[in-house]
Amino acid sequence: MKTSKKAIIGVFGSEDSLMDALCRLLAENLEPAEIYTPYPVHAALRALKRRSRLSWAAWFYGFFGGIAVLAFLYYTAVIDWPLNYGGKPFNAFPSFITITLVLIILIVTILTLLTFSVRAKIYPFKKAEIIDERVTDDKFIIVFDADKVNRDQLYASLKEAEAEEIIEK
Amino acid sequence: MSYATEIRGPLVLGNKKLSQVSDDIIAPVGARPGKWWYAGMFIASLMLVYGTYALYITFTVGIGSWNVNNSVGWGWEIINFVWWIGIGHAGTAFSIFLLLLRQTWRTSINRAAEAMTVAAVLCAALFPLIHMGRPWLFFFIAPYPNTRGPLWVNYNSPLFWDFMAISAYLLISASFWYLGMIPDFATIRDKATTKVKKAVYSLLSFGWTGSSREWMRYEATGFVLGGIAAVLVVSVHSIVSTDFASSVIPGWHTTLFPPYFVVGAIFSGFAMVMTLMILIRNIYKLHDYVTDRHLDAIARILVFISLIMGTAYLTELFMAWYSGNEYEGFLIFKNRVTGKFAFEFWAMFICNAIIPQLFWSKRIRRNLTLAFIISLIINLGMWYERFNIIVTSLSRSYLPSTWVSYHPTFIEVGIYLGTIGLFTTAVLLFFRYIPMIAIHEVKSVLKHNETEHGMIEPNTGEQ
Repeated sequence: MKTSKKAIIGVFGSEDSLMDALCRLLAENLEPAEIYTPYPVHAALRALKRRSRLSWAAWFYGFFGGIAVLAFLYYTAVIDWPLNYGGKPFNAFPSFITITLVLIILIVTILTLLTFSVRAKIYPFKKAEIIDERVTDDKFIIVFDADKVNRDQLYASLKEAEAEEIIEK
Repeated sequence: MSYATEIRGPLVLGNKKLSQVSDDIIAPVGARPGKWWYAGMFIASLMLVYGTYALYITFTVGIGSWNVNNSVGWGWEIINFVWWIGIGHAGTAFSIFLLLLRQTWRTSINRAAEAMTVAAVLCAALFPLIHMGRPWLFFFIAPYPNTRGPLWVNYNSPLFWDFMAISAYLLISASFWYLGMIPDFATIRDKATTKVKKAVYSLLSFGWTGSSREWMRYEATGFVLGGIAAVLVVSVHSIVSTDFASSVIPGWHTTLFPPYFVVGAIFSGFAMVMTLMILIRNIYKLHDYVTDRHLDAIARILVFISLIMGTAYLTELFMAWYSGNEYEGFLIFKNRVTGKFAFEFWAMFICNAIIPQLFWSKRIRRNLTLAFIISLIINLGMWYERFNIIVTSLSRSYLPSTWVSYHPTFIEVGIYLGTIGLFTTAVLLFFRYIPMIAIHEVKSVLKHNETEHGMIEPNTGEQ
């Protein structure tokens, strides 16, 4: 079976059949290139060992953002143009906390969204590389790189896992 | 790990298949709406025209076109600002708290709640802007290097906190809402039958394909935004309350204000969510998605929050007596409970603390006409609450020589009606062009139906 096509795609009709197939294929060392689902299937993400480090990134944005905000407040309120508000100290630290908190939230939001956009490659005017249009509706798809798997073994395994369709693209 | 109880019943009725969920929710998107939609749009447009005229007069003549004065320096504009920002609270509160608590019943309702939030916060943001007198100089409030010194803003001022908090809240609510819609826009794109629709929703879906890498990061982003927005929800309205509480006006200078405002905001917002969900359910026949149990859950939350509101009102009365402060006592007992503003006080108390108690009755919770009316009554009551706080305190302050009456002018009423028109327009556009229920989230909870309620293979495309 010689072909120039790059991807072998197994189509499944439900989350359960996808998971059954995925476990079977992984046990046979058939590592999928990607799976596509209509909603997030957490068990599949765990099985594929997909873990996002986005929450760590957000923590760092918050930590360093907070330091930056406090430094900015100190610079403007104490060094650059100190103003006496009813005899309060120039560095009125406790009352800086509220605005620091709000600005940390603003910074984390903006940077986390940007990180998501860059890492997931989701941004305005991007043309979607659609594998199969049914995947945003009701189908669950496992995609294999045709060059990296044993084609015959994969076909046999997908059939055994009761794939509704096997497509090459 | 998620946990679902038998008590709650299925989240989606009708033993739906995945593709049915897509079809049911997408059906109204872009379809020709009924006559009610055009009628609603017409009325909303009239309100918008009136509002635009009122804004024009405000900009060209100035704040002199309003009836605010030296004593009542804050009038309808701040009442309506607090009212709108309160309504705008529930969307994000609803979505985020229930997301963080892994409450799966949120999935049918969160989209509408978030859409409502964005529209309400936009309406709210208008009021502080026009209240500045010279709105074209609004950017003076942002701390940036300027030629006036540079003179930096006062970081100790709640008004500055308010500006930053509302800007952040608008950004985060809009982002959270849009992020949630990306996979649904992709569903519409892939099911579109016309070229125009496909092109529009391709643009809106930002190249979404539904891969595991996208889903993984999408969920992580959702949780990060949810986690930090939960803090913001509490802080925004606490900050709004400190606009009042940090002054020394009787009736305002109280530590009760931050929790009282936050709870009040969530109360009015949940009531608005109920109003909208009853409309969506009945107009678009989405009974299988927005079930009696969903509305029942909102009604239960409302009755609980109503009890907190009642407790807050009684605490104000108690503290006015217990503190022995004669100004507080005079304000609360001679100008709110009795006296010139007794009607507004009792309207607030009855609408917010008494009438929602009807929701203790299951029959009333399940009677959607009554639930709809009560949800509107709550929002009326919340408006009266803000009127009470602002006008009674300012018009009867320490010196009798500063006592005045306050009634809004034609222009102030116009601005308020204009924002109602803006909100209605935004909601009607949302009904027509955006999936009203989060399609992918509903699909993800179909599995609960299967495992918890013994429905066999309800979520497969094949039977």
